[in-house]
Amino acid sequence: MNRLSVRTMPVMHAKRAVAIWCALAALTLIVLVASLALGSVPLTPARVLAALLPAHHAQADIAGEIVRTLRLPRALAGFACGALLAVAGALLQVLLRNPLAEPYVLGVSGGAASFALLAMMAGCAWWVVDSSAFAGAFVSILLVLGLARRELWRGEPQDTSPRLLLTGAVIAAGWGALITLLLTLAPDNRLRGMLFWLTGDLNGGGLPWLALMALAAVLVAILPAAPQLNVLLRGDVAAEALGVSVMRLRLRVYLVASLAAAAAVTTGGSIGFVGLVVPHTLRLAFGNDQRMLLPAAALGGGIAVMGADLIARTAIAPAQLPVGVITALIGVPVFLWMLLRRPR
Amino acid sequence: MMKRTTTPAPCSTSSTLSAQRVTLRAGARTLLASFTHTFYAGEVWCIAGPNGAGKTTLISALAGLTEPSSGQVEIDGVRVADWAPAPLARRRALMPQSAHDAFSASVLEIVMLSRLPYLAGWGWERAADRAAAHAALEMLGLSGFASRDVLSLSGGERQRVALAAALCQDAPLLLLDEPLSHLDLHHQIDCLEVLLAWAGERERTVVFSCHDLNLARRFATHALLLDGAGAAFAGPVRDVLTPTLASRAFGYPLILLQDGGHEALIPAPRLHDTHRGAAGPTS
Repeated sequence: MNRLSVRTMPVMHAKRAVAIWCALAALTLIVLVASLALGSVPLTPARVLAALLPAHHAQADIAGEIVRTLRLPRALAGFACGALLAVAGALLQVLLRNPLAEPYVLGVSGGAASFALLAMMAGCAWWVVDSSAFAGAFVSILLVLGLARRELWRGEPQDTSPRLLLTGAVIAAGWGALITLLLTLAPDNRLRGMLFWLTGDLNGGGLPWLALMALAAVLVAILPAAPQLNVLLRGDVAAEALGVSVMRLRLRVYLVASLAAAAAVTTGGSIGFVGLVVPHTLRLAFGNDQRMLLPAAALGGGIAVMGADLIARTAIAPAQLPVGVITALIGVPVFLWMLLRRPR
Repeated sequence: MMKRTTTPAPCSTSSTLSAQRVTLRAGARTLLASFTHTFYAGEVWCIAGPNGAGKTTLISALAGLTEPSSGQVEIDGVRVADWAPAPLARRRALMPQSAHDAFSASVLEIVMLSRLPYLAGWGWERAADRAAAHAALEMLGLSGFASRDVLSLSGGERQRVALAAALCQDAPLLLLDEPLSHLDLHHQIDCLEVLLAWAGERERTVVFSCHDLNLARRFATHALLLDGAGAAFAGPVRDVLTPTLASRAFGYPLILLQDGGHEALIPAPRLHDTHRGAAGPTS
């Protein structure tokens, strides 16, 4: 028996899960306060708190204005977007039983961007653009899963990772070409807005409340099924024998994951690899119990994107980097490392 | 969670499993024709037969996961299709032929997944569930494996973990699809002894499929021999796994060797030296 493989793993239980969630929630708060305090006008945490308290709303101080109308919506949008992406990634990984499944890698962002750009070219209102992005994300997921996993509904035990990843990559390349085409054809006065959308930033004022509501809906819809998801990972026959209605559960996971990915992309544009890096890191640290992992992924994803956005807008201030650049710089090496170290 | 209409109250710890005029087909082939039989508590059944004879399909149908082409399966007198999922999972456990793990998890966590039908409230295991998982591991000599990563286990170890998981489900009716296929001789015998004791301890029923007829003759109480062409022979193991019936089902001549108290079914030697062409082993 080789030394390396004899790794002991602690067992997850409710108390441990709650401790993990509390730690992540505390970290979320710290990153949130940092996001509100840091920037071109640095504020003390006390000042941030004061700005958030309703009593101060009457006074028209600039610091309060910055926190309330600029930094808070942006931080919340980042949190919701990251949480949705991480939950979508974790769910797709369960659904496809493949640790490499992730909305960005599967071309979801490309689909959303293509549809959104098309709407922008046509000069549609922002809500049409957002709805188009949502529809594009959904269509893209449908396309990839429909093409790569006819087995999705049959539930073959085989690991079909190469086919799935290739399909996702090819679809993403297709969207990329479509995006280039649209940018080439776009009238000059629309081009700037389109490029802005593409870089995947949380600056557009976003709609943090819609994204937060989507996050709440996603969690409410899927958390009660977490024990069944654990069993689903053992295979369809094993799950069925334990009383899980596999078909219905798969459909539910699929719809929820699609909703989460689409809502995230609509809010934040192309922010890649969060759905891969966050669940994987949590799994390495705390194991793969979905009851713990899904809420933890929501918090962890929120922390990751909120933190990445903080870096993006302070690293080379006053210039701002697109947050997607930061996540990709971290995500690409992690993805490659995971792909190459896999056995078989 | 949807609930089906009828959920019979478990009246005793023992279960009866019966197949009524069950017909199984694979494409145009009839694997099993109008099979009617009742499996009682305390019996240990071996399902034997050639490859593709329908052993897996039958086990799946008996577990209520596959709808037979015609006929029906009843557990405790109620059609399996009419059972609600969770109570059914507390009455019968199924160990699939192979389990595939894509993610790391500890052996204890994998075994504890079988407690799903017993979870309540927020869906976390209680101390009793953890104790059941430890007991199942202990039974199969896997106590030292509890905190090992399943991905680091060998094929045979993984199979024993799957068996422990099936036992941990604590259902009076246990269906096992080739539970011994990856095990060495020693562990095959150990596992069968565990299953035998487990079936005897609280009047439970074990049905397993197996290719080793001699292990079946030694450990099973009953055997069900499928020929894959529609026929099935069911009865006490020594009446069914005989050279005559087994030769016919497997399409290859078998003979029974006896040496003192020991006996073994072995394939007859091919007669190619003396009777080449004249008396080949045809069926």
